[in-house]
Amino acid sequence: METIKLTRARAHAGLAAMLLGSVAWSGGALAQNVSNTNPNAVTTSTTTTNAATTDAATTNAVTVNAAARGQNNNSGSASSRSGATDPGVRGGDPGVGGALPGLNDVERQYFDVAKEVFQEVDAGPDGLGPRFNLDSCSGCHSQPTIGGTSPATNPQVAVATLMGAKNVVPPFVTANGPIREARFVRNRDGSPDGGVHSLFVITGRSDAAGCNIAQPNFAAELARNNVVFRIPTPVFGLGLVENVSDGTLEAALAANAQQKRALGISGRFNHNGNDGTIARFGWKAQNKSLLLFSGEAYNVEMGITNELFQNERDSDPACQFKVTPNDSTPLVSENTASPAASFQNDIDLFAAFMRFSAPPTPASATATPVAQAAPAGQTTGAATATTGAATATTGAASGTTTTGAATATSTLMASASADASSVLPSAAGSAAAQSSSPASSGASLTRGGQVFSNVGCQACHTKTLTTEKSPLTGQSNVTIQPFSDFAVHEMGTGLADGVSQGSANGNEFRTAPLWGVGQRIFFLHDGRTKDLQEAIQQHASRGSEANTVINNYNLLSRDDKQSLLNYLRSL
Amino acid sequence: MRTWVYLGVAACLAGLGAVRYGAVPSSYDAAAWQSANPEDGKVADGVFVSDYFDLSYRLPEGWTEGLAGPGPTQSGYYVLGTWAPKHDFVGTVLVVAQDMFFAPESSEVKNVVAEFRQVMSAVDGMTIDSEPAQVSVGGRPGYRVDFSGVGLFRSMIAIEIRCHVLTFNLTSRDPEFLASLVRSLDNLASVRKKTSDPVPECLAGYATSENVVHRVEPDDVGAKAVSIPVRMIVATDGSVKHVHVIRASAAQRRNIEEALRQWKFKSYVRLGRPVEVETGMTFNFKPANM
Repeated sequence: METIKLTRARAHAGLAAMLLGSVAWSGGALAQNVSNTNPNAVTTSTTTTNAATTDAATTNAVTVNAAARGQNNNSGSASSRSGATDPGVRGGDPGVGGALPGLNDVERQYFDVAKEVFQEVDAGPDGLGPRFNLDSCSGCHSQPTIGGTSPATNPQVAVATLMGAKNVVPPFVTANGPIREARFVRNRDGSPDGGVHSLFVITGRSDAAGCNIAQPNFAAELARNNVVFRIPTPVFGLGLVENVSDGTLEAALAANAQQKRALGISGRFNHNGNDGTIARFGWKAQNKSLLLFSGEAYNVEMGITNELFQNERDSDPACQFKVTPNDSTPLVSENTASPAASFQNDIDLFAAFMRFSAPPTPASATATPVAQAAPAGQTTGAATATTGAATATTGAASGTTTTGAATATSTLMASASADASSVLPSAAGSAAAQSSSPASSGASLTRGGQVFSNVGCQACHTKTLTTEKSPLTGQSNVTIQPFSDFAVHEMGTGLADGVSQGSANGNEFRTAPLWGVGQRIFFLHDGRTKDLQEAIQQHASRGSEANTVINNYNLLSRDDKQSLLNYLRSL
Repeated sequence: MRTWVYLGVAACLAGLGAVRYGAVPSSYDAAAWQSANPEDGKVADGVFVSDYFDLSYRLPEGWTEGLAGPGPTQSGYYVLGTWAPKHDFVGTVLVVAQDMFFAPESSEVKNVVAEFRQVMSAVDGMTIDSEPAQVSVGGRPGYRVDFSGVGLFRSMIAIEIRCHVLTFNLTSRDPEFLASLVRSLDNLASVRKKTSDPVPECLAGYATSENVVHRVEPDDVGAKAVSIPVRMIVATDGSVKHVHVIRASAAQRRNIEEALRQWKFKSYVRLGRPVEVETGMTFNFKPANM
């Protein structure tokens, strides 16, 4: 228990250093930067986790996808094609990172301690490694603030050589690129792999004397096109997601089934293997719960064994510097500000941080400036925060107009000479109204919300869901706007990673929740682009359910594309 | 047991589906028709041909196949094709099919279009330009609804063929071009040559213990709980002459095919004569309790 307390004390200093941009670290003449946890990790050793395998059917897809890997493609090609421009990362107050509104004092204290633990920086005495990707949760989950996703400056570069380590930074990890974990698609014998291969080892670190293990041979695996990547997912508001019932998710998926069919979309849930309930966390919805999410990431990303994942991933005895599991439930109070948290292990507190954290709030609610690109013909400039976004993000379906008399029977298409245009009585007349240009940023966001729904984005990026009864104060029956159906969808050869997890195959990915997307830097599961419009275009490729929606997007006017991008950056 | 009349083929046999626009390349023969599956349609020389649905469609001049959609789903949903202009991207056509045997909700064409209309009318900023109405598409009865929003004009036209609801989803930013696309659907034609081959009766729920005389269970299909939809054609002598495992792994597909080919049904008799039956069933596999 004492070790944990010391760890937490060090962590605070480490975090402070990180926030100041320093590499100074308390506890000796040690350099320290930031840390990493990617919740998308997977294991093959537990019945409670959807094991990772590779999908033979997607082997070719991996090859197709290879060109996009290892690159931060921000070429602007999508922008140049469409004329619309990604407004960029929304600045100002993050408007996120705190506790759920409405919690009582005891719950808030618990959250506050959990958030501190989430920021702990771990080292050898804490059980870091022997293989790891970074050394804290908050290192990866830091944009726009603690709990978010990959920051602008990749801390993996610095941690590679921290404390005397001799790690070589793989070419797919760059100083200004996304934080990445690497997975190998196949084993050398051709059998499915799909698991995470940690980037770094503790060999050479001053706190790991005697350990002498080597990094994976990434060069060789890259040469045989066998490496795929994942970036961290934001964790804000995930307790609310955890508290949405399976029935609600199923109803939401079925609610617009006919619209989905008319768009080429289906989708299905990644059900947990034994109890059959819906798994919903991680890029492939492979993780059932936040606790599982935490325990797995702690071991896979930081190499810290815990009460869910008890065994070291590399059991070389020369590289073990703490009892196993490295993290365990304290039986003596840790004397934190929260009596409850004082008896919790780290993974319980990680899960609590996620479970108690507030969801992202759109620009309208935080009155945060949004740098918007102006519609054609208007002067580009810094747009102000708008109240229009409030309308755009409520998700309420309204404003529908029905025009034209119903045609009871028609044989207008019985012959080639039939004038089918006569059954479009209102279309031509309403053309002008349909192409109206947004006159202001507020109008642009409102229009963007309509574009989002009309082209079909919302068919998968479901705007609203409602939680069920919660043990947390004020959290029962809350309507949330995650912009996801939490189902997995076939995303085509362009995005396929060839890794199967649970019932999600190598082409399938969970609908990425879009709440907070306005503040993200890197997009898609491997962080291949910083350009939101490029991310939209990447949804289309051979075999993708999103192809028709992207076709619809490409049919839009330049103004409407811009309005959609502005709207998304307001979320 | 629900029975759906095979309207599409019946119409073709009556001569209503004759090719309208000159020769359409066809791969059709009796064997192809028996062994074809819904997802097998393809575009060749500017013409989409589906032997399974006995359907051909000459694409508009200058159009080609777009990106292929995903494979069949566990609910029997297919993306049959996406067509788009090669150059001036002014519109698209998406053709999908829903197997009525496995549809999770009502799959009558009229209801499908009505429900679709309701969903689209709830979309913020969407206008229903033309209420659902009965139409004839290339000689086949169907329903159509038109709607528009954010500068996109769209028609959804649904018909029933071989116990599937096919929908043609047409989109353009130009309403006049959309109208021309709608008219082009009159190019829909039959690919089936004149033949006396019997047409299978389309029957839901035929693969029950009441009708199955001999049943062989498929081998273990893995550790995960899974539902696998299967279509099959039962010959007049009760043997299984064609199996289509709609979505499964290769091993699951092989095991189910091997098992089903050993099944024996009672002969289905209509109007005093045995006729072939096309039906569907779902194999539900659950892992053993731990």
